[in-house]
Amino acid sequence: MTTKWNLREIVLMAILGVVFAVIYLFFFTVGTGLTNILTPFGLGPFGYEVIFGIWFIVSIITAYIIRKPGAALISETIAGGVQVLLGSPAGPMLIVSAFIQGLGAEAAFAATKYRNFSKSVLMAAGVGAAVFSFIWGLYHSGYIALSFPLLSSMLIVRVISGALIAGLLGKWITERLADTGVLRSYALGKEWQTKREHKAS
Amino acid sequence: MLTSINPTMKAFAVLIPALLLAFTFDPLTPFIYLVFTVAVTFFFSKVAFKRWILIFSPFLLLAVSFAWMTMLHPSDAFSGGDVLISVWSFQVTTESFWAGISLGLRSLSFAALSLLFILTTDSTKFMLSLMQQCKLPPKLTFGILAGYRFLPTFRYELQVLRQAHRIRGVGRAKGVKERLHQFRRYAIPLLANAIRKAERVALAMESKGFTGETDRTHYHEMTIDKRDWIFVSVFFVMFFVSVFLSYQLGFLNIFGKDF
Repeated sequence: MTTKWNLREIVLMAILGVVFAVIYLFFFTVGTGLTNILTPFGLGPFGYEVIFGIWFIVSIITAYIIRKPGAALISETIAGGVQVLLGSPAGPMLIVSAFIQGLGAEAAFAATKYRNFSKSVLMAAGVGAAVFSFIWGLYHSGYIALSFPLLSSMLIVRVISGALIAGLLGKWITERLADTGVLRSYALGKEWQTKREHKAS
Repeated sequence: MLTSINPTMKAFAVLIPALLLAFTFDPLTPFIYLVFTVAVTFFFSKVAFKRWILIFSPFLLLAVSFAWMTMLHPSDAFSGGDVLISVWSFQVTTESFWAGISLGLRSLSFAALSLLFILTTDSTKFMLSLMQQCKLPPKLTFGILAGYRFLPTFRYELQVLRQAHRIRGVGRAKGVKERLHQFRRYAIPLLANAIRKAERVALAMESKGFTGETDRTHYHEMTIDKRDWIFVSVFFVMFFVSVFLSYQLGFLNIFGKDF
């Protein structure tokens, strides 16, 4: 497999970043809604933890389609940057946060040397992003001032959310896209086609 | 005026203090910085207060929520002091109270810094400046700008999709299972269209002679001059001023340690 990117892949990654930036912004409001419900119990920020996985999904989708070093990291960073362009109130810091989440997902793919894109690796990428973003939150959002039992339950919720929403849902969406045939000229689409021909013969 | 500051420099001016503010756990430092940021926003730009407060107010709620959680569940480093109030089985102590207030104020000053950037920056200029000053590859920059330009088209496509469904008698989804099915009916075609567009854009770029070389000329030159450096330094220095002030007044607290 070559590691050189062609323009088509770069533009695909950019556009996926833009599309998911909109979805990310939308889920920001969903998270705020959940937070409002949980605030009276002193568990407000859990509203975000439950759906945190959605914010890693573009890493998994792009890496699964393009399968080149950097796909997970760069696509997530683009999604963060485009949210800033769209006027996300989180501002330029979002680019840093997105970069760190992307690193977490990228680490999982790098560990397999970009050879294995099975279900468990995709879920591991979601978990990686969750762990990295949590460590970042310890510093940046001041989670370090919270009690240990609360912190560990937050981490567990985020990891599960990362594995299920980013890993499993991401895989499902990408495969439904591959079924439509639009991914034929990318790594996943090619694999999909050989699989199908294999089945037919 | 804030709108004419180089966007990349402006981004750094709001990023660096935010990264540094995360070290402090006392209420005064973030509060001073918050006041400073809000003052700069209104003195040096034409941002309408009504618009600003409309975007800022959700953050008030989030800050209160986060502060409240910190007060109820503090770590050992922040759970000392006298008990102020007890709620159910939780006790709010003086230290956890101030840690909560500090974290709430910190997120508010983050929000104020972000708004200062968001409300005074043109997104296209920001991308162009990232390409020219931060050496972002032109292939990525123009890819992102093309995708950004497609957003209104995507909204139009969603509308068409919805009308197409309605005219064929597909009703509103009821229940979880139907909702999931509806999600798939919308999300997959929209994403598939986006991917097709990406392919077409890439082809168009290549056929018009776009090589993505970094050695190129620019129609919109983005420059950095002295004013931009002053702007960044003021934001940087102001962080140390607020740390110094809260040190003088005996508030300063870095990672749970008083100074």
